Amino acid sequence: MIEIVDLYKSFNGTAVLQGMNLVIPTGKITVIIGPSGCGKTVLLRHIIGLWKPDRGKVMLDKVNLSALNRFQLNEIRRRFGMLFQHAALFDSMNVYENVAFPLREHTKKSEREIQNIVVEKLSLVGLSGNEKKMPSDLSGGMRKRVGLARAIALQPEIILYDEPTTGLDPIMTEAIDNLILEMQRKLSITSVVISHDIPSAFRIADQISMVYKGKIIETGTPDVFRNSKKEEVQEFIRKGEGKG
Amino acid sequence: MTAILKFIPFWNVLLAALMGLGDWCRFAWASITWTFRPPYRYHNFFYQMQFIGVQSLPIILLTGLFTGMVFALQTGKTFALFKMQNLVGSTVGLALAREIAPVFTALMVTARAGSAMAAEIGTMRVTEQVDALYTMAVDPLQYLVSPRVIGCIFMVPLLTMIFNYVGCVGAYLVGTTLLDIPSGPFLRHLYWYVDPEDIFGGMLKAAVFGFFLAMISCYKGFKTEGGAEGVGRSTTGAVVASSVTILVADYFLTTWILEFFTTHHH
Repeated sequence: MIEIVDLYKSFNGTAVLQGMNLVIPTGKITVIIGPSGCGKTVLLRHIIGLWKPDRGKVMLDKVNLSALNRFQLNEIRRRFGMLFQHAALFDSMNVYENVAFPLREHTKKSEREIQNIVVEKLSLVGLSGNEKKMPSDLSGGMRKRVGLARAIALQPEIILYDEPTTGLDPIMTEAIDNLILEMQRKLSITSVVISHDIPSAFRIADQISMVYKGKIIETGTPDVFRNSKKEEVQEFIRKGEGKG
Repeated sequence: MTAILKFIPFWNVLLAALMGLGDWCRFAWASITWTFRPPYRYHNFFYQMQFIGVQSLPIILLTGLFTGMVFALQTGKTFALFKMQNLVGSTVGLALAREIAPVFTALMVTARAGSAMAAEIGTMRVTEQVDALYTMAVDPLQYLVSPRVIGCIFMVPLLTMIFNYVGCVGAYLVGTTLLDIPSGPFLRHLYWYVDPEDIFGGMLKAAVFGFFLAMISCYKGFKTEGGAEGVGRSTTGAVVASSVTILVADYFLTTWILEFFTTHHH
């Protein structure tokens, strides 16, 4: 279970997180929605300990991430996988090497085993046969899928997705949604998904939370969320579904 | 207290400089502690040695040769006034071993490899590749900074040796052909005056310069913000800060080395 307790963070005097509280249940898919610039990505970066909060804490199974030193933090990050908004692939490595990177770093698998995993993960994201391409030769959507293959290569307990389907076509969006669902069902991976995509959020989420002005203003199952009394939530759902 | 300090001229500039220095020290310390923790990525280390050392070889050979040549020419013309051209070999040899080779080599490596380090790590920073390393439980200080710093600590002294050698060859060529110094006295003076301590002192300096230039360039890359322009700023900053540090450190190292290392009783 990931617990976010009273989290505050400002950048150059601009308050981004303003007392955020959220519980992310283990083995479920939590989708975090909200308008652009409301602090969703900042929240995600705090969950994996990339940034330290000004106040408050992030608890992972009773361990306070903000209190760990850099060695302990590095150790605990092995339990995570993260997909970045712009994929953040290593541009000096080809697709194969990118996906193989976490396997080579953290396992003692033979090159043959690594190859099998890489091929399998790439086919899961619909990119078989692109092993030798460099990231610069790929479209934005393809890069994102390679990033996803890399994030799931080690089958981590917790995967953080920063807008996994933004910029993908409807067919690929559904495929990625299904992939997230499948991993949660088969491997009971805890997923935290940041999204703008309301229809996709309703399709995959066990819990939806909405961030607004640096705070969580609503959390619940898709049904609870849909029937929220909050004006901001209803407006976001209305506009999101109209678009999708 | 701070109210009083504000009356010091350029207080803000001073404060920013001190904060930068403090931040760099923390960065350097963190990188050093990561260096001695497993896993040891030999591949990265050898790759950096190849990039910093082997690929710098042409520029070091070229600059070394011409530096030795021009130094022989200048000293030779001056010494000719006192009919002491025979000392050209030893003068050039000593100057190269103690000062010119380590400083020039470090500056050339800064220009070639230091700038590349800042640009590469800076680009990785602004495209979130550094953050991606963190999230994959691979510390970027260990993965990116350690191999570059160790690579420089090993390779800058070796390049300095090569600079020494080709510099002396350049001086010999100019001395024996243009300045008409007989080969025998040239080499005898060179051999007689330049002691191993001079060479080792220079190499020690070179290792320290290597540490500074790599640690500063990596730091600048790490602190990059704001896209392509930021990468440009970091690269320039890395070269300027490293060069200045090398020259300042050279003075202090020289006083120390002259005091404790070299013992000249000719």
